[in-house]
Amino acid sequence: MTEFLTAAVGFILAMLALGLVSILRGPGDADRVMATQLIGTGGIAALLLLGTVAGVPAAVDVALTLALLATFASIAFVKKGLSRFEADGTASTENE
Amino acid sequence: MRAHVAARVSVASRAAWFLCLWLVLAGATLDDVPAAATAVGAATWTSLRFLAPGSSRLSPRALGRLVLLFLYHSIVAGADVARRALDPRLPLRPGFVAYPTGLPPGPRRNVFATLTSLLPGTVPAGDQNAQIFYHCLDVERPVIAELAAEEEALVRALYND
Amino acid sequence: MSLVRDMISIAAVSAGAFFFLAGTVGLLRFPDTLTRLHALTKADNLGLGLVVLGLLPQADSLRDALKLVSIWLLGLLAGATVSQLIARAARQGGSIR
Repeated sequence: MTEFLTAAVGFILAMLALGLVSILRGPGDADRVMATQLIGTGGIAALLLLGTVAGVPAAVDVALTLALLATFASIAFVKKGLSRFEADGTASTENE
Repeated sequence: MRAHVAARVSVASRAAWFLCLWLVLAGATLDDVPAAATAVGAATWTSLRFLAPGSSRLSPRALGRLVLLFLYHSIVAGADVARRALDPRLPLRPGFVAYPTGLPPGPRRNVFATLTSLLPGTVPAGDQNAQIFYHCLDVERPVIAELAAEEEALVRALYND
Repeated sequence: MSLVRDMISIAAVSAGAFFFLAGTVGLLRFPDTLTRLHALTKADNLGLGLVVLGLLPQADSLRDALKLVSIWLLGLLAGATVSQLIARAARQGGSIR
């Protein structure tokens, strides 16, 4: 079981590395945010697997924190960084 | 008077949910009591501030159906994207579809948009008046009918007032 | 008993890894921002969900299992929220490719 889960961690990390390639390719900022989101989700999966493989319960807490941080980072980036695209009023409805 | 009691019940039930979440995430230790009380209080206050208690009644059966529908859709959606991504011909017909919704703008419409962002091939991309714009991977799929079914299930489960 | 649990874990985690693969391939192959967004939200969240499902039989206690599920729900909510925000920004700024 341990071997299998370790292999799964390796595979998911390899997928994340490919995700980094897509950050480099871009081309837009939105694509980069998406790749960050991918790394957030994949990172959580890898950490949860590692926590079970290595018997480190703290890894689960790290995954939880990563989930929270990745979310807020992406939201902040989209709201701030991409706000120049939200010039007309339709975007304001999301606040209510 | 009755409304007053109902409001208290809803505050208590939200606090109870947040307490459960705390116990799951942080565990139950005596040393944590002050931190837990602060966190639960802050979470309850924040949730009441941003989402006022509603008037609708929860229907557990309809909610169960909604959860099942949601899980089923997540699986179909993931499989659909995987099939298109791995197909050498890359079968995509992307475009926007405007979906006329009966839900008022605000929390209800946002919940609906969030749920439907996991339907196969649709991502909500903003709304205007009584329409939500969806970006679709394949505009020839029966997107509008699927969205209408999802809206009906949601209204039955949560917004049946 | 433990064999059955391990089989469930192996099946679910393998399926999860497959969806991570599909998500990454979609991110690299799909032609524009909005289509890539589909690959990200759908495939990734399902991948994480299946990994969590596969770890549930290995969890030591009910609390650990619930914790795993709440992390998945948080990830799901995050993916759904962020994807809407990105889609909105991309639709309004037709200039992003």
